[in-house]
Amino acid sequence: MGGAQAPAMSPPAIKKGMGLVLDQIIFALLNGTIYGLLLFMVSAGLTLIFGMMGVLNFAHASFYMLGAYFAYTLEPLTGFWIAIILSPLLVAGIGILVERYILRHVHAHGHAHELLVTFGLSVVIAEIIKMAYGKFAIDYRVPVELNFAAFSLSGIDYPFYRLFMGGIALAMFIAIYLLLTRTRVGIVVRSAIYRPQMVEALGHNVPLVFMGVFGFGAALAGLAGAVAGAFYTTNPNMALELGVMVFVVVVVGGLGSMGGAMAASLLIGITNSLAVGSNFMLADALALVGLGAWAQDIGGLLTTRLSSLAATIPFFIMLLVLVVRPSGLMGEKE
Amino acid sequence: MKLGPISLAVVVCLLLAMPWLVSGSFLNAAIQMLIAALFAMAFGLLCGRAGMLSFGHAAYFGVGAFAAVHAMNAFGGEGLLPTPLLPLVGAGTGLVSGLVAGYFSTKRTGVYFAMITLALAELLHALAPHMKAMFGGEAGVSSFRMPAWGFSFGSITEVYFLTLAWTLLSIAALYLFSKTPLGSLALGLRENAHRLRFLGYNTHALGTLIFAVSAMFAGIAGALQSLNIEAANYVVLESHISTAVVLNSFIGGVRVFLGPAIGGAVMTFFGHVTSDLTRVWLLYQGIIFVLVMMFMPRGIVGEIVDRFSAPTRAGILRLLGDICLRLGAVAVAAIGAIFLIEFLQRLLSNEYRANVAAAGWPDITLFSMDWSPLSIQPWGFGLGLMAVGIALVVTINRRLAARKEAEA
Amino acid sequence: MSDPILSLQDVHKSFGEAHIIRGATLNVMAGERHAVIGPNGAGKSTLFHLCSGQFAPSKGKILLQGNSIGGLKPAEVNRRGLARSFQITNIFPGVSVRENLRLAVMRKHNLQFVFWRSAARLRVVNEEVDELLEKIRLSARGSDLASQLSYSEQRSLEIGMTLASDPKVILLDEPMAGMSHEETDYTSGLIREITQGRTLLIVEHDMSVVFSLAHRISVLVYGEIIATGTPDEIRGNARVKEAYLGEEAA
Repeated sequence: MGGAQAPAMSPPAIKKGMGLVLDQIIFALLNGTIYGLLLFMVSAGLTLIFGMMGVLNFAHASFYMLGAYFAYTLEPLTGFWIAIILSPLLVAGIGILVERYILRHVHAHGHAHELLVTFGLSVVIAEIIKMAYGKFAIDYRVPVELNFAAFSLSGIDYPFYRLFMGGIALAMFIAIYLLLTRTRVGIVVRSAIYRPQMVEALGHNVPLVFMGVFGFGAALAGLAGAVAGAFYTTNPNMALELGVMVFVVVVVGGLGSMGGAMAASLLIGITNSLAVGSNFMLADALALVGLGAWAQDIGGLLTTRLSSLAATIPFFIMLLVLVVRPSGLMGEKE
Repeated sequence: MKLGPISLAVVVCLLLAMPWLVSGSFLNAAIQMLIAALFAMAFGLLCGRAGMLSFGHAAYFGVGAFAAVHAMNAFGGEGLLPTPLLPLVGAGTGLVSGLVAGYFSTKRTGVYFAMITLALAELLHALAPHMKAMFGGEAGVSSFRMPAWGFSFGSITEVYFLTLAWTLLSIAALYLFSKTPLGSLALGLRENAHRLRFLGYNTHALGTLIFAVSAMFAGIAGALQSLNIEAANYVVLESHISTAVVLNSFIGGVRVFLGPAIGGAVMTFFGHVTSDLTRVWLLYQGIIFVLVMMFMPRGIVGEIVDRFSAPTRAGILRLLGDICLRLGAVAVAAIGAIFLIEFLQRLLSNEYRANVAAAGWPDITLFSMDWSPLSIQPWGFGLGLMAVGIALVVTINRRLAARKEAEA
Repeated sequence: MSDPILSLQDVHKSFGEAHIIRGATLNVMAGERHAVIGPNGAGKSTLFHLCSGQFAPSKGKILLQGNSIGGLKPAEVNRRGLARSFQITNIFPGVSVRENLRLAVMRKHNLQFVFWRSAARLRVVNEEVDELLEKIRLSARGSDLASQLSYSEQRSLEIGMTLASDPKVILLDEPMAGMSHEETDYTSGLIREITQGRTLLIVEHDMSVVFSLAHRISVLVYGEIIATGTPDEIRGNARVKEAYLGEEAA
């Protein structure tokens, strides 16, 4: 970056330039980590539900979207803080209803059928949102009291709200971790993942546990949506956009593996945000082997900046993983 | 089973007579229905027969559509092939892209497969805007049909017959395919891929090949779409195309051979009919899908085939009676639900909200009557009908179950 | 007897910490019916999975007719003449019995990527399917769905599918599990019939079946073969009594 001008600069200017690049990389890493943590918040619920019930909940990202829209609706009435507490609870309620009255109804037809039903639900939810709030993004913003710079590097402010999102996501993992490892309910949940019949035979109410886990997973997604919706855009397409990313995370990490989900979330979050901040293009790489001019002539993808292709990078990571290690980073062999 | 060939002949005759039976705008809808039917059949091969659920079939439809447009524009507009053969280009590109995508996605099975297909389609959708030469950017690529073989292809009737010929040929080819060894192995893949491996088959290669065949027919459907509208835009790569084919095929029933085609055609027909009446057709489509999956897991055609599989005259009459009763009850609930949805849609629309700010809460006209949103009437009417309908369905189901038990 | 047709030489298999197979050595002679017995958890199923390509051995050699098959994929092992059945019934439930067998027979005739011929019209395949149906005594049920068969009929179908590729070596994993006395007798007779001229390696818990069916028996305890011999030799073997029967008694 900026390499062509470097010889003209005085040594301090070079140093300053290097510092700027370094700061940008720090920003990108921080952004990526926080985005990764958010991805994890959603994929953790998905993984938990899948591990336990074998259901791949296609509507999981829709719960994320509902969280954002509920919080937006509640905010004027209750204020931001109550809104981001209430909206995950509402989403959990919807999740419980879905599990109790829809998923349980089709359980006998197998997991593919459950996946399809949740797919249909995601369509219904997206359409209801469009009907109620319109097709375009709504004006859900970071509240004024949280909208300030946490610190600044090279004169660029870093928004406090990003750190706030990362903090909430981190707090959530610690909570999940403690819940799963330290509480009686957590032990039942973990064993129900492996041996549902056994747990049921021991007198635990497995359907209730399932319902609870489904609601909890939904609430996690809802909370992620309520918090992140204020920072990123809140529109009826957000479920699909995030949902696809979460699926990529799950394929890369391996379903049912929390560690895998975490690693893949961070990997994808960070590469994504590094790419966004980069001016690199394929033609640059080809220039190294003397094909630069040819690439410039061809144009198209070869001269498209990596930053504008950032959205496609996670998919390429997924393809790479599929070729090299089809069962995912930490997945068991099927 | 003697009914099969006769009804098939009747349907084909009706399709052939269509241009003389319906008006121009309807004929256009009929073309859309045929394309949707073929696309759903391609999806049905993969999903129903081989048990691999794809959420990203728009990709192969879209690739076929773009390939056809470029083929039409080739040689300064002369076209790569005569117009009637252009779908072959869609078939070829569909097949090749299906081989590539199939190689990756069939590396995994089950829900992973479904997620990968979705991700691949989204990848193409994300790349498309950056590949202007190929996908034409915002404006898309347009073209026009050249005359060939003594046809001008200027009239909609000729386009209709071209689409019909390709759709029928493709469906016949799919039928024959299902009878081949590879078609049988598709069933084996769905039923028990693990066992297939231990019988000495290469399941990854089999899966890839079946994926590619499915993508090939999706490509033909896409090419027909381009021929029809004489353009392609990267809207055809969007997720709602993939969504529609999943919904349509499963509403029809993917395990019955013509189930997806019927689902695709019927849902497209309703989409066309209701386009002036409602703005939320996709919502209805989603709700119908969820209800079908919950209460008729084999799909509507699947359910019908199942019920009429061993008919006796008395049995059929009684079955028809039961079905009419149920349909009646469902219709009551549906009218209530439709009323509520449409009322809410109007209440929440931007136009109405603007009115509220200016003039309070004006009445909403629906079902040729005026309803005040602040009164209890519209809500009571909608919810009441729904409740009555659901109560009727439950009662009828209980009665019929009791009768069945009494007979058994 | 001649050279072994299937030979395991000091085979090990571990899953992480768990060392399931600890240096098993086993020679199965061509044409014999060889049974593997052992207490629960001895590793019998794992041994089968190793032979059939489900797992790759961590150490040691597995030879089929003198060629190494350790670590090959299931499909490749099958192609070399070793076919297996499964402990849990493993058929194609949603298609007809005839179609189940047809899927199995087609592979032998290399009909994998063929899409220009009708499967139903392939004469050779159909004749072999009919023969198999007769052999497993299911001729009358050819057009029924496999899922509609009774349990023992499904097990017969499973055996028929194992037979379809005309393998030299057949591995049957607990073919009599969950069967009544009559069903066991019936299946035992069936196995005797269909393994004429082939080699059989069988895991079975029903000792009366094992001792009447097998020419030779190997005893697997904690991942090791502690004895191999004729039924009479095994009956009289002190180590077997201690390790195997002792546990049963306790």
